[in-house]
Amino acid sequence: MIELRKVSLKYGDKEILKNVSLSVKDNTIKAILGPSGVGKSTILKLMLGLIKPNKGQVIIDGTDITNMKESSLYSIRRKMGMVFQGNALFDSLTISQNLGFFLRENMKLPEEEIARRVTEQIQFAGLEGYEDQLPESLSGGMRRRVAIGRALIFKPHMILFDEPTAGLDPVSSKKILSLISSLRHNNNLGAVIVTHIIDDVFNVADCVAVLYQGEIIFDDVTEKLHEAQHPFIRSILSDKILEQ
Amino acid sequence: MLLTFARNQEKAIALWLKDFILTMQEFFLFSVRTFISFPKVKRYWRDVLDQASICGTDSIPIVLVSAISIGSLLAIEVGNLLEDFGAKTMLGRSTSLSVIRELGPLLMGLMLSARFGSRNGAELGAMQISEQIDALRAFGTDPVAKLVMPRLVAALIMFLPLTALSDYAGLQSAAYMAEHYHRLDPGIFWNAVYPRLAPKDFVVGFLKAPVFAIIITLVSSFNGFSARGGTAGVGRSTIKGIVVSSGLVLIANFYVSKIVLENM
Repeated sequence: MIELRKVSLKYGDKEILKNVSLSVKDNTIKAILGPSGVGKSTILKLMLGLIKPNKGQVIIDGTDITNMKESSLYSIRRKMGMVFQGNALFDSLTISQNLGFFLRENMKLPEEEIARRVTEQIQFAGLEGYEDQLPESLSGGMRRRVAIGRALIFKPHMILFDEPTAGLDPVSSKKILSLISSLRHNNNLGAVIVTHIIDDVFNVADCVAVLYQGEIIFDDVTEKLHEAQHPFIRSILSDKILEQ
Repeated sequence: MLLTFARNQEKAIALWLKDFILTMQEFFLFSVRTFISFPKVKRYWRDVLDQASICGTDSIPIVLVSAISIGSLLAIEVGNLLEDFGAKTMLGRSTSLSVIRELGPLLMGLMLSARFGSRNGAELGAMQISEQIDALRAFGTDPVAKLVMPRLVAALIMFLPLTALSDYAGLQSAAYMAEHYHRLDPGIFWNAVYPRLAPKDFVVGFLKAPVFAIIITLVSSFNGFSARGGTAGVGRSTIKGIVVSSGLVLIANFYVSKIVLENM
C-alpha cells in the first residue's frame, strides 16, 4: 500500500503540492487525474522517493520513506515498477537487453532465468521478432509496451504509469489500456496511473483522485466522479481531455 | 532610482552567491558519492573497460597530434631564441623540461577535457533529460556507481599512459626538429635531455594525470547529471562542463607544479 500524508512540495517559490493526502491499496488501479504541469508526475516521483517533500510523509507498505537514505530506498523501489512518460529506455541497448538490464543489475538470477523472464515479457508485450532491435526502430506504442515489460519483469506489487497513453495513436492507446487492465487480472497487480485523459480513467481505474492547483479536490471510486460538484470536475467531464 | 538599482544588484548578487554555494555543495556530495562507490568497481568492470577504451585508446590520435605539433613548434621557437645566445646545445634540456613538466600533461589534459569531458556531458545530459537516470534510480541502481565511477576509474588508469605518450611524442618531435631544422646533432640533443632530468620533473608531470582525471570526469559528469531543459539544456551543460574543467585543469596545472617544485 502506498500512502501520501499531508505532503507539500515547493520548487523555488512555486508551490506544486499543498497538503496532498492519498492512498493506493494493493490490487487496485488508482488514477491521478489533472491538467498538464499540475504536479501529477511529481506524485509518482515522491512515491518512489526520487524526490523528497518539503512537508508530510510518504509511506510504502507501512515504512516511512520520507527521509530514507538513497541506498536504503533501492530495496523499497524494487517493490514498484515505473513506466516513465518518455519510456526512459536505454537507447544503446536492444529490446532484450533493456528488458533484462535490471535483472542482471540488481538480482542474482541465473542467466537462464533472466532469458526466460525476458521471453515472457516479449510475448506479453507482443514484441516477438523485435528482440534484437534498438528502441529507436520501434513505434511509440511498441516502446511503451517495452517500458511496461521492463517494469513488470521484477514482478513488483505495484506499477506506476506516467501518462501511459500520451502521444499514442488511438489503436496503440487501446492496446496499452487493455494491457494495463490485464495486469490486475493476470498478475494481481496494483497500479497508479497519472493521466490527463478522462477516458483512460473510466476505462481502467477503480478509483480516481483529481489534482487541481496543487490540491486533491476529489478522491473516490471512479463511478462517483460523475456526481462530483466541483466546477473544475464538471468542466473536465464535458471536455474529456484536460489541457491548460 | 539609483537606490533601487543598487538594491536590485545586491539581490541579484545574493541570489547568484546562494546558487553558487548550493551548486558547490551538490558537487561536493556528488564527488563523495563517486569515491564511496569505488568498492563496486569489481561489479562494473565491463563499464570500466568500455570507458578505458573511450578515454584511452580512442584518444591516442588527438593526444599524439597535439603533442607532436607543440613539441615541434617548441623546438623551433626555443632553438631560434637559444641560437641568439649561442646556446643551441641547451635545446634538449629546455624542451624536455617544458614537455615533461608542463606541456605534455597540460595538452593531454586539455585535449581530454574537450574529448572525454564533452562526451560525458552530452551522454549523461541526454540520459538525464530522457529520464534514463531517473529510471536507474527507480529500478534500484545507483546511477553514480553505474555511470560515473567507471568513468573516473578508467580516467585514473588511462591518463597516466596518455601523459607518458604525450611526453614521448612531444620530445621525439622536438628531437626531429632539432636535427632537421636547427641542424643539431641528435647526440647533443639527447645528452642534454637525460642527465638533466631529475625525479621531481617526472613527479610534477605525472602527478597531474590523476588530478586532471578527477577534475575532468567529475566536473563533466556533474554537469551532465544537472542538465535541464531539453536538448538546449544538454548543450548548455556540456559547454559548461568543458569550460569549467578546462579552466580548472589550467589552474591545477599551475598549483601542482608550484607545490611539487617548492617542496622537492
